[in-house]
Amino acid sequence: MKTNDFRRIGKRVAAFSMAAMMLALSGCGGGNGSNDNGASSGKKKLTLWHIQTSTSADIIHEAAERFNANNSEYEVEVVDKVNDSYKSDLSLAINAGTMPDIFITWGGQTMYDYADEGLICNLTEYMNKDNYVNEFVEAGIAQCTYNDKIYAVPVENVSVAGFFYNTEVFDKYNLEEPKTIAELEKICDTLVENGVAPFALANATQWTGSMYFQYLATRYGGLEPFADAAAGTGTFENDAFVYAGEKIQEWVEKGYFCDGFNGMDDDAGQARMLLYNGDAAMDLMGSWFTSTVAGENQQFIDDGKLGFFPFPALETSTADQTYSLGTIGDNLYAVSSSCEAPEVAFEMIQYLLDETSQKERKYVGKIIPLKSFTSEDPVVNEILDSVNNAAGIQLWYDQYLPAEVAEVHKQTSQEIFGLTMTPQEANAALQDAMEAYNSKNA
Amino acid sequence: MKTISMSQRKKRETAIASAVFLAPALIVILVYIIYPIIQSFITSCYEWNGYSSNKVFIGLGNWAELMKDKTFWKAFLNNIKVMLLSIVIQMPIGLALATFLDRVGKKGTICKVIWFIPMLMSSVAIGFLFRYALDANTGFITAISHLFGGGKIDLLGNPQTVLYTVIGIIAWQFIPFYMVYYMAGYSSLPTDIHEAAMIDGATENQYFWKISLPLLKPSIKSAIVLSMVGSLKYFDLVYVMTGGGPSHSSELMATYMYTNAFSSYRMGYASAIASGMFILISCIAIVTMRLLNRGED
Repeated sequence: MKTNDFRRIGKRVAAFSMAAMMLALSGCGGGNGSNDNGASSGKKKLTLWHIQTSTSADIIHEAAERFNANNSEYEVEVVDKVNDSYKSDLSLAINAGTMPDIFITWGGQTMYDYADEGLICNLTEYMNKDNYVNEFVEAGIAQCTYNDKIYAVPVENVSVAGFFYNTEVFDKYNLEEPKTIAELEKICDTLVENGVAPFALANATQWTGSMYFQYLATRYGGLEPFADAAAGTGTFENDAFVYAGEKIQEWVEKGYFCDGFNGMDDDAGQARMLLYNGDAAMDLMGSWFTSTVAGENQQFIDDGKLGFFPFPALETSTADQTYSLGTIGDNLYAVSSSCEAPEVAFEMIQYLLDETSQKERKYVGKIIPLKSFTSEDPVVNEILDSVNNAAGIQLWYDQYLPAEVAEVHKQTSQEIFGLTMTPQEANAALQDAMEAYNSKNA
Repeated sequence: MKTISMSQRKKRETAIASAVFLAPALIVILVYIIYPIIQSFITSCYEWNGYSSNKVFIGLGNWAELMKDKTFWKAFLNNIKVMLLSIVIQMPIGLALATFLDRVGKKGTICKVIWFIPMLMSSVAIGFLFRYALDANTGFITAISHLFGGGKIDLLGNPQTVLYTVIGIIAWQFIPFYMVYYMAGYSSLPTDIHEAAMIDGATENQYFWKISLPLLKPSIKSAIVLSMVGSLKYFDLVYVMTGGGPSHSSELMATYMYTNAFSSYRMGYASAIASGMFILISCIAIVTMRLLNRGED
């Protein structure tokens, strides 16, 4: 009798907990935070995720306010996100079914994956309306296109990497912008002799040091070695990548990089600090650097201390030496397929590029991927020149490669910098990861 | 048999009542703890990027990879180092501070407040603070070294020192916790024992080693278990300060799991790591509890 009682109670408890679980599960599936009706205004809500900071973030908030003022039915809520945790936040949101309606993505494999999974809307129809698409730089649209469909809008910035330098330090030691890697090395030697770190680098962040690797490989072998390796027709053990790794280790051993670089965080501004106070001379960084500096240390620009030169050429190479590393458009704004009004969302994206936004973006030193864009800022013009002169663009490896391979690349590139792996070991590890990925997704 | 005796009826009512009272806790545990654990084990048998509808069953493939994954075992070893050093550093200092505060009484209030401050800060804030403080070019360690004519000191970028640096900061963060924990232990000791010992001519030293320390044994035991489990699943400060780098030298199991899940998008493999952590931590906790409780029954 006793056991009977307990069995019955056990059943009841089980039923209870099952019911509770069902409730919890259905709560998960049904909840879609983004489409809740705005309680205060009575308008339907759209959410927008971006990763801009300081002044650049204000531009987006203001654009959303203009949209909200002009739209009677919808209201956009802008959510500020942080770069380094953005991808994980987004994948959590995708899992939880609470995707933002408008969000930024980058080109390359990640965007293709989203498109294949049907997570983002095809925007071709809206882009073609009134020939809106023709206002954009062609390379920018190319980056948002997959299988002949446009999946995103290039908005923020043309970002290509190059050397930003402290002109005061260069003047002090009578240094000229280098045209070749040999000249760059001569400059570095002079700086090291005078106790100035040639390169400011914060490489706990990993993608920062990886830029050196990417540029050196591109200078040595052009675009093919990487494209072939990523496609599985070539390999990361190609000479171009060996050269890149060996050059970096040579530079590390000569003391070209600031002390403690592998423990420093670029998002915390630890490399820029060295550039500002003249403890380091150069920083290889994407062209968003100008707007970061504008938001953080306007004085530095006003004093004319910020200079730019493209990554120097490798004299001994037969490959084209004008290639730029980076992206046209940087943050591409996409609309999630769970958005109930994609057309309205697209309209919001257009607000991000309306006249006011364009003016404000230009003011903070951004290069908008529109054909009509011109600049008076000499630094920005130099960046524009390097883009216009470029025979092509090498997209950032970590955006081009699938996430798990990109992670291995960033990790091994940090190991190359830390001298904890030889270039050969690092490239073999990267090749293994690429092959493992390709065989799984064949 | 149809009639039910009073005592049986009472038993049945008790059983119903206890079921009703236990149900809320049980449901929460089932939904938020048991279910995710089971789900992790299930996910660990798939090759899955976390958002794709394409989930491929690969059986024990992830587990086989995990067994051979040097980085995972390095992370596990790092966790063990964090665990042992945390106990060795935090327990005695926490106990010493608590003993001091217990002895000086009200006069120590200012010390008590100041020493407790690290506990009030979030790990993320502490991480950022020490990131700047330990900066090889502008941080205070380098500044001190310059004062004495030394060179730049790089603690976070050096694979040899980064883990121990982080362990030091973890100790800084958690010593106040154990201080308060032992203070609570002290306050539960009856004061007449102290008086009686003094009347019997014991010195403060003798009182501490022979009387209060044995009486605090249960507190110390549970503090050790707390610290152990906390160390084995430690995540936040390491994630903020080093992200596990450079070259995995400060990698912990939890940060490695995070990187796999949310940077590499290998949700299946990350689930295998999480499940592996669960198994390892459970084993270590069970063994330690056995060891600590031996000789008591």
